[in-house]
Amino acid sequence: MSPAIVLALLLALGGAAWFAARGRAQAMYTGRGSLRAMPNYHGWHMALWVLVPALLGWGVWNAIAPGLIHGAIMAHPAAQGLPAMDMERDAIVNEAIAAAKSGGFGAFRPESAALTGPVKEILARFDWIGAGLSLVLALAGGAFGYTRVTRDFPARTRVERAVLGLLLAASSVAIITTLGIIGSLVFEAFRFFTFVSPFDFLFGTNWNPDPFAPINPEIGKKLGAVPLFWGTLFIGAIIAMIVAVPLGLMSAIYLTQYASARFRKWVKPMLEILAGVPTVVYGYFAALTVAPLVRDFAAGIGVANPTTESALAAGLVMGVMIIPFVSSMADDSIAAVPQAMRDGSLAMGATKSETIRKVLIPAALPGIVAGVMLAISRAIGETMIVYMAAGAAARLSANPFDSMTTVTYQIARLLTGDGDFAHPSTLSAFALGLVLFGVTLVLNIVALRVVKRFREAYE
Amino acid sequence: MNKYASQWQSPDMTKRLARRYAAERRFRLLGVAAIAISLSFLAFLLFTMLKNGLGGIDWAFLTGSDSTDAGNAGIWGAFKGSLLTMAVTLVLSFPLGVLSAIWLEEFAPRARWVEWIEVSINNLAAVPSIIFGLLGLAIFIQLFGMPRSSPLVGGMTLALMTMPVIVIAARNAVQAVPPSIRDAALAVGASPVQATFHHVLPLALPGILTGTIIGMARALGETAPLLIIGMRMFAATPPQGITDSSTVLPMQVFLWSGEIDRAFVQNTSAAIIALLFFLLAMNGLAIYLRAKFETRW
Repeated sequence: MSPAIVLALLLALGGAAWFAARGRAQAMYTGRGSLRAMPNYHGWHMALWVLVPALLGWGVWNAIAPGLIHGAIMAHPAAQGLPAMDMERDAIVNEAIAAAKSGGFGAFRPESAALTGPVKEILARFDWIGAGLSLVLALAGGAFGYTRVTRDFPARTRVERAVLGLLLAASSVAIITTLGIIGSLVFEAFRFFTFVSPFDFLFGTNWNPDPFAPINPEIGKKLGAVPLFWGTLFIGAIIAMIVAVPLGLMSAIYLTQYASARFRKWVKPMLEILAGVPTVVYGYFAALTVAPLVRDFAAGIGVANPTTESALAAGLVMGVMIIPFVSSMADDSIAAVPQAMRDGSLAMGATKSETIRKVLIPAALPGIVAGVMLAISRAIGETMIVYMAAGAAARLSANPFDSMTTVTYQIARLLTGDGDFAHPSTLSAFALGLVLFGVTLVLNIVALRVVKRFREAYE
Repeated sequence: MNKYASQWQSPDMTKRLARRYAAERRFRLLGVAAIAISLSFLAFLLFTMLKNGLGGIDWAFLTGSDSTDAGNAGIWGAFKGSLLTMAVTLVLSFPLGVLSAIWLEEFAPRARWVEWIEVSINNLAAVPSIIFGLLGLAIFIQLFGMPRSSPLVGGMTLALMTMPVIVIAARNAVQAVPPSIRDAALAVGASPVQATFHHVLPLALPGILTGTIIGMARALGETAPLLIIGMRMFAATPPQGITDSSTVLPMQVFLWSGEIDRAFVQNTSAAIIALLFFLLAMNGLAIYLRAKFETRW
């Protein structure tokens, strides 16, 4: 039976249980105060008893079934002729399982084609066992739940306890995700560092990964990530910020201090569209339109052999993407400066611009700096723009017209290539991911601290 | 005696004032220029896409799938992949996000470990999207053996990315419901769970929906994590289910942008127009919902 049918059946049983328990409770109702809980809650209580054990049992079964299926296939007479070599045998068995699941396609080896029939039977048998198991659990749970429908059973408190458990479980997903990210990055990065020393990786200046190179101690010499770190900083933290900080700050100042309410109402959402455009669109625009302009400009000012892919093109477009972000952070921190400070300055005869430059911006500076840090953390994690416009060449150069590569570009390229997943070159993507995650995490934590301190200072 | 009525009218002072007012005007002009530059970049981008792509949008383009021939290629396959992926994302991230927001706002005890949950939600909202792709690859595909390139894995990965956005929006919406609503419900004998689910949640729902639509719009435009989990593929037929290999709309843009054939420039721009159209429609819906249901307490 397919998972969808099992799920539908369980849900139907749950619904039936709801009506059964509710009906039974309603039959017991003899007047105000005769039941401790409303009939609906009795319904929910029994439905939970039907669904929760059955779904749990089914989940556990699906987790352990692949191992059992494998064992059953091995024990089948048709599998006796398989080669003794583990890897080859597993490949054949997996192919047969895939073929059995997709209705006979994909069995390229004769051995697995011969196995497909028996495997199909075994799979069907195990599916039936799983479905039967969950149905038995559902019925048993339901029976237990049904006996609980009595006059003084506190069904509401029990149901509410289950609801609170559900809420807690939903909240813990966030922390599990964080742990999952850290765990998977650290685990794969650790595998990488068994091949390459962290020192070579963090301080080496030659980046030339080759997923087909033989694995030997020399491989660390080609996996030095300093050029990537430099490219990332140069594009994301220098060029993009040179574009985004003045434009974002000035537009925030104009919108909050000078513009009329009408102008603000129309222009602010339009600026925010800039943040909503998908990054792949920016990447395409950067590659198709901005990069050739930058190249022609470079040729015009006499740069020798300008390339189409350049750090400047990627950084410019990324900066534009970040403008609304910087603008809204600056907006918030300027708005947090107490009105009295501005009034004081204006009362002394300062013009508006003098007040802004000499009073508001210095007072809002911590918030603005924090906003810029958050913007940097966003820019260095950006992938598609640099993937499409910055290039693949890992080089340490301060020339913005050179093509440069970044951490995110290399992660994406290494993991979409043809290489073996367990090769150090591929695994280095996870080490790069770990560095990226660590840096953005620190930037975010520090920035949020600064913002919090700053808010408290004026409250 | 000074020949001027007051110091303010001396030539020095007039000059000085003129200089200060000029500075004021320059500063103001700088602000206008910053906004004009930003918006003209946006206009330039949209104009380029419309110019290149508008001619490519016709019925065959909207209903076809990817093809090696630019003239026959269409976006329906990728769009269906996007729809399936978004469906998985919504089904997972909306209940998770809303339930955890409710728990954090209404039921969470003040404790150290609750603070950890809050910190991790705030940080997840700022983690680069490509990191979620690494998580999806390492956990969902390598560890759990789920089908690579499928809307199922893509949707789950994007759900983890979208959930913090929904949690933050939902928390703000729940916070905005005045305490008197809860007090009134509790005072007539509702349990805290009843007060929350019968009274607070319905009032917070418009705000939650707005946040959800914005989060979904972001997920719809996302490419990098899906690149990592292998949704970068040539799909000549639309996916039939959430476990089929498929691609998504932004990925189609990416794939076509890499084609050497110049004819694909039109396809790419046309696909971008379609993508931007959906994003604008979603954001417009969010703005409309906010305007229609916003209550000032």
